Amino acid sequence: MIGYVIRRLIIAVIVTIGIAAITFAMLHYLQPSPAAIVLGTKARPEAIASWNKQHGYDRPEIVQFWSYLKGIAHFNFGYSYKLSQSVAALFNENAGRTAYLSGAALVLALLIAIPLGIYQAVRRNSIADYTLSALNLTLYSMPSFLLGVVLIQFFALNWNIFPPGVSSNITSTWAAITHPSQMVLPIATLTFITVASFSRYMRSSALDNLAQDYIRLARAKGLSERAVLSRHLLRNACLPMITLVGLSIPALMAGNLLIEYLFNYPGLGLLFYNALNNADYNIMLAYTILIGILTVVGNLIADIAITAADPRVRLT
Amino acid sequence: MSDPATRGAVDRVIAPEPTVAPTSAPEGGEVQVIASGWRLALGEFSQNRLALFAVLVLVFFILFSFIGPLIYHSNQTITEPLSTTLPPGGGHPLGTDQNGFDELGRLMKGGQTALEIGFLAAAIATVIGTVWGAVAGLVGGLLDGAMMRFVDVLLSIPFLFAVLIIATKYSGTVITLSIVLGIFSWLIPARLVRGEVLTLRTRDFVSAARVMGAGQARLVFRHLIPNALSVVIVNVTFQVADAILALAYLGFLGFGLQYPNTSWGDMLGNAQNNVTSGYWWLVYPVGACLVLVVLASNVIGDALRDALDVRLRKR
Repeated sequence: MIGYVIRRLIIAVIVTIGIAAITFAMLHYLQPSPAAIVLGTKARPEAIASWNKQHGYDRPEIVQFWSYLKGIAHFNFGYSYKLSQSVAALFNENAGRTAYLSGAALVLALLIAIPLGIYQAVRRNSIADYTLSALNLTLYSMPSFLLGVVLIQFFALNWNIFPPGVSSNITSTWAAITHPSQMVLPIATLTFITVASFSRYMRSSALDNLAQDYIRLARAKGLSERAVLSRHLLRNACLPMITLVGLSIPALMAGNLLIEYLFNYPGLGLLFYNALNNADYNIMLAYTILIGILTVVGNLIADIAITAADPRVRLT
Repeated sequence: MSDPATRGAVDRVIAPEPTVAPTSAPEGGEVQVIASGWRLALGEFSQNRLALFAVLVLVFFILFSFIGPLIYHSNQTITEPLSTTLPPGGGHPLGTDQNGFDELGRLMKGGQTALEIGFLAAAIATVIGTVWGAVAGLVGGLLDGAMMRFVDVLLSIPFLFAVLIIATKYSGTVITLSIVLGIFSWLIPARLVRGEVLTLRTRDFVSAARVMGAGQARLVFRHLIPNALSVVIVNVTFQVADAILALAYLGFLGFGLQYPNTSWGDMLGNAQNNVTSGYWWLVYPVGACLVLVVLASNVIGDALRDALDVRLRKR
């Protein structure tokens, strides 16, 4: 087990360096130096050259990449010249709110998708199952922001239950937590979209397990259906969800970006969106790499968790 | 939430649900009709009523977008400041947008580009992925390892974020957006094709072709890719759905096609403002078109997978 974890850790580090290299190369190709943004478009070439020299943008790309990589290892993601703050400080300021939105949505999505999938599997091919499957596939085929717009239409504009966006006084994570009515629609949107992609896998996993002998044995011993489902089926059918959660991180963060923009919720997604419009490349670079690292770490944890949870999975 | 990485990788974790097919063994003396694999799959597909309906939906939207403007003429070139955001009615069945363009005509125009980009991006991704996967699977060894690790790394880079970064720099045309979406979506087909090729390359017909002196290129293009085609075709439909969705995300965030050209995604840009201003006709018709096309592609993909999967086919 220890050897397996170490080997996986080494692969994870190599993949992370690969992610950083490709993202860095991509951004470097798009914008070799932020000098033009800092000094303005009318800056003389000499001024740009001396700025580049001063900030190390005249060095060979590979050297720049190496120093960037060393920076990442020390949680130094560079400097945002547009916002005059270090990227790390900006992340520190916004990460809590994004973690709250995405984390709440992920937990709620699991709490809904797991029972839903089991219910559909047990009631397989019933009208309820068909209706839920159709609903799921529709949500799955829907851009996440469109669901958000529909929810805004009904719950904010027609029925006036929740506000249509997040107000500007949400400046801290604590404020976001203590103003639950503002958070209902953003969290609900992200939750439903995530449920749509989880529950179809949960349903097929539960179906696979329902056909197995251990379920028949549990029923034959005279256990109540409730005990069969909650004690025996639930634990086994949830195993693929561990892998799925690890894999769904990029999609979750993409959803988070769209929802933050839609509801004007100040988090990392909105920070990235503003960076896109301001050509603030250090923020774009750092956030893309950060999600890449989250994905790698998520998959690593999922793989280790599944070997711990499922003795049938062999360590190779 | 339709992320190509999630979809492909998880499908490997969970096998598709086996649809119960009453396997009636042919009775003694009965002669089985011999048909080609494709014809069998087509027969299977045509029995799926939902999938046939989805094909109809897709055909309807293709006709609507490309033939529609020939029948329904509307102004899509000159902005009309005096007739902006008119509600449906009068000469405009779906109202007008902020520039005074007729929304129904705009829906057709946006449909053309959305479908073009969807299919073009899917084609680009499929071609790159198929060749990449086939070469990696056939050559094997160190090159295979390197090629597939490269795929692993790219899969960990968040798709939407990378596409957005690239889209900030290139003016949005049908071609550039298709290429940008295509070059970030070939990873799943590459994995699928490699998996197929790994099982195919040990088969006798490949050895036979090799013994007869076929070169690597001939093996890949004449023997391996055609036999791995069923996996690829199923994936294409999902690629189209994903590309149209990704286009919607780009358009919503304002990084889609350049004005005055438009796609369904661009028409949904600032959807929240249109809704709060009460311009519902600028959001829901285009949203419905988008969802229906993506839904139809997903349904067709699911049905094709069932039809082409030999294990699930009734004999």
